[in-house]
Amino acid sequence: MSNIPENPADRLLFELSKPGRRCVTFPKLDVPEVDIADALKGAKLRTEPARLPEIGELDLVRHFKNLAKKNFSVDKNFYPLGSCTMKYNPKINVTLLAQQGYTKAHPYLPEHDIQGHLELMYNLEHYLREVSGLDEVTLQPAAGAHGELTGVMCIKAYFEDRGEGAQRTEFLIPSAAHGTNPATAAMAGFKAVTLKEAANGNIDIEELKKKVGPQTAGMMITNPSTLGILEPKMREIAEILHGVGAQLYMDGANMNAISGIVQPGDYGIDVMHFNLHKTFSVPHGGGGPGAGPIAVRKHLAPYLPKPRIKKNADGTFSFDHDRPKSVGKVRSFFGNFGALVMAYTYMTQLGREGVRRMSQNAVLGANYIRVKLRDFYNVHHDRTNAHEVVFTDAKQDKENGVHTLDIAKRLIDYGIHPMTIYFPLPQNTGGHGAMMVEPTETESKESIDYFIECMKKIAQECKDNPELVKSAPHTTPVSKVDEKTASTNPQLYCPMCLG
Amino acid sequence: MPFIQHTDEDRAEMLKAIGAKSIDDLYVDIPADIRVKENGDKVKLNPSMGELEVTRHINALLAKTKNAGNYAFFRGAGIYNHHVSTLADHLALYEGDFITAYTPYQPECSQGTLTSVFEFQSCITALTGFEVSNAGMYDGASALAEAVLMGYRLTADKFRKETRETVVLAGAIHPEYAATVKTYCETTGLKLVTVGAGKDGRVDAGALKAALTREAAVVAIQSPNFLGVIEDVESLVKQAHEAETTIVQVIAEAVSLSVLQTPADAGIDICVGEGQSIGNHMFMGGPAFGFFASRKDFVRKMPGRIVSETTDRDGRRAFALALATREQHIRREKATSNICTNQALCALRALIQLAAWGKGGFTELGRQVVAKTQFARKALAAVKGVELAHPDAPVFNEFVIKAKPGLDAALIKQGIMGGLPLETVGMGQPGEYLVAVTEMTTKEDIDKYAKALGA
Repeated sequence: MSNIPENPADRLLFELSKPGRRCVTFPKLDVPEVDIADALKGAKLRTEPARLPEIGELDLVRHFKNLAKKNFSVDKNFYPLGSCTMKYNPKINVTLLAQQGYTKAHPYLPEHDIQGHLELMYNLEHYLREVSGLDEVTLQPAAGAHGELTGVMCIKAYFEDRGEGAQRTEFLIPSAAHGTNPATAAMAGFKAVTLKEAANGNIDIEELKKKVGPQTAGMMITNPSTLGILEPKMREIAEILHGVGAQLYMDGANMNAISGIVQPGDYGIDVMHFNLHKTFSVPHGGGGPGAGPIAVRKHLAPYLPKPRIKKNADGTFSFDHDRPKSVGKVRSFFGNFGALVMAYTYMTQLGREGVRRMSQNAVLGANYIRVKLRDFYNVHHDRTNAHEVVFTDAKQDKENGVHTLDIAKRLIDYGIHPMTIYFPLPQNTGGHGAMMVEPTETESKESIDYFIECMKKIAQECKDNPELVKSAPHTTPVSKVDEKTASTNPQLYCPMCLG
Repeated sequence: MPFIQHTDEDRAEMLKAIGAKSIDDLYVDIPADIRVKENGDKVKLNPSMGELEVTRHINALLAKTKNAGNYAFFRGAGIYNHHVSTLADHLALYEGDFITAYTPYQPECSQGTLTSVFEFQSCITALTGFEVSNAGMYDGASALAEAVLMGYRLTADKFRKETRETVVLAGAIHPEYAATVKTYCETTGLKLVTVGAGKDGRVDAGALKAALTREAAVVAIQSPNFLGVIEDVESLVKQAHEAETTIVQVIAEAVSLSVLQTPADAGIDICVGEGQSIGNHMFMGGPAFGFFASRKDFVRKMPGRIVSETTDRDGRRAFALALATREQHIRREKATSNICTNQALCALRALIQLAAWGKGGFTELGRQVVAKTQFARKALAAVKGVELAHPDAPVFNEFVIKAKPGLDAALIKQGIMGGLPLETVGMGQPGEYLVAVTEMTTKEDIDKYAKALGA
């Protein structure tokens, strides 16, 4: 037991455990006790109770409060994570969700008991239709990647229905795309064909024309791109794809730049997903739950997952299960309903005006950061950007031997969460480590200015005292973590939990 | 505007620094003819609302609903009305440092989340007996679909010279799960075969044998199954392994792991399940989380995020994401899955709830559920005109009764949300109801239900 930390605040739950301690008690059983072996005759039972920790309530609360302290969070810290849209999560969203009407809503309640929930989902679908400019929406996908998969499944079903299933085997994916895009295409049985970007970061139209053909099922495009740049030739791209009968999928990860500014449907896209945990402020939760609804043009609507929600002539709402061409279900029930409630609460607060202001201020902040830091760091594409901007370590690497990872870790010492690093991949950023910065619209100018000042200071530190930067962080509960050993010699559970 | 702090002066200063006249100038790459006009009505959304207005609006919607708390409640079928400890709300839902944190890619400032995931994995290990648990999946249904894909990969890699691309869904599997597996299989091009349940509610062993041809790659079972019946898992494992297939078990009621044999002990290869029962509210079926556990040898084939213990530069214990070379952000089209969430907050809730129950409490919970289920089973079966569909089968928390069709409406009027009419989910005949019990079910509720059924 000697390796158990002395301070209880540093121990694992299992190390705080002592036989006989309890938190929760149950009411006295109001029915006769049974002998488990007798009651479950014919079934095999556990040989011993599951080795869960035994812990008192105060120690339990303190344990989790101490863990919470070891996290950065949007509530506490500026979190300029590019592509993740770490905006403020209004408290009202959680408060409204925590009501019994939601917490105790069962998916198999009869429709007359859930009219208010169906109405909420119907309204949210309407909002997303309006923001996307597309015709129909499903709320079922549980996350962005899940939405991608659902969208690609719909495209696949569409081609199979048209008798082109065997012919359409490829999906075109820009090389700077999120990793989920090629992974999704592969999961849906397509060959992921990589498209190289043009030198200015846009889609290379000639390259696209070369690779597109009758074998193409579709293309996945992120707009604004993962380089933080709005694609100026969206309509031309859509026309090229439609010209060979293929579909255009838009990854909506970056909708925080253009919601209320342009309806992607006007670009000619056929399907897109939303990340409600990015654009519409469902809290990220340390890695979910989010929600990844998709919006489609009419011709893809028959293939959307079921059930759909419909409004009846008498103003009531019901589920429509009669969707013979539907791809089926992509998860149980109706999606991450609780996350949908939070997104809906947020969107109704923003309203038409607010959605537009959201995007405008997000784009303003990111451009401001670009011009303020362009003399200190290499801007990968120093041109008007969208809601995020990509810097690289080209300058610091060459002049001081300091790299993106070091700069990111040093930022932690200033109380700021690192930006997204090494995405897009070095092959897309001139061989240098990317630093993708997304301030979001909810940060004040003072917070943004503080970030800018810290980045300038770090640039100076790279010159004066590179070791200080390379050995960062210096102020966190743990110093630089050995992530390599975590993978080469994984230890995935506390030995005390298994006999 | 809500949640935006910039003043007009801030905006003017920032625009000046950028060298732009207006924010509109920053959208030069959007063709002017499709740009939404300021103060136009092209995007049809409501005017902005404040906290008071949105509260009124949401509460008006809620007034048009009823929930489990309004009834003597006997509905389950994958989402269960367990007590959720207030600790899970206070320490997860309202804890800004958990709920507003991002995925812990930067371990130095995410040790809170990483430690909790490691503890979560350890708890799933304790429950299932497997050495490896991932950090969580979307839900039970998609976890089963991913487990089936992984099971297929395991068999296909072992028998490279053969074509083994058939998935066998055996017995009474939750219809939502089966539908999800079907969707995933159709997309990936795997063939799906279903084997029904026999009269005793368990997998029809003869039909399974016939389905286990050389093409079969993976068998999936649910236990306790959708009809509440606990399968003879060991014999199904034996059958599956004799046919050199991978066998997956899905569990819809995670609390059953408090008393039933662990999937690892039964010889299962991959165990997945729905985690809602543990510390997560019902929320119309989501969000909760899926759990995913397997043997150490298979870890590199597993989908999803995994956390490992390691050290920091000073030799102190630390935690970090591990084995990312399986994942989409590194492997792209060669990844084991496209998933990049683990429903972390829901998994955290489960960890808090499991710790709150503790070793003793979790066992006591299981015993209470069994005792109440047994009581309800006897009480309902004693009603004239009601009989058990599977009187000889072992059940944990759910069972099917046969009674008059169309009882639902009358029961609801009396404040009773009776068992789920099985024909509404395509899993039985009119007059068959799937009755669910939890520790929340009181003797009074059961007596009331029995009395109403007898009337």
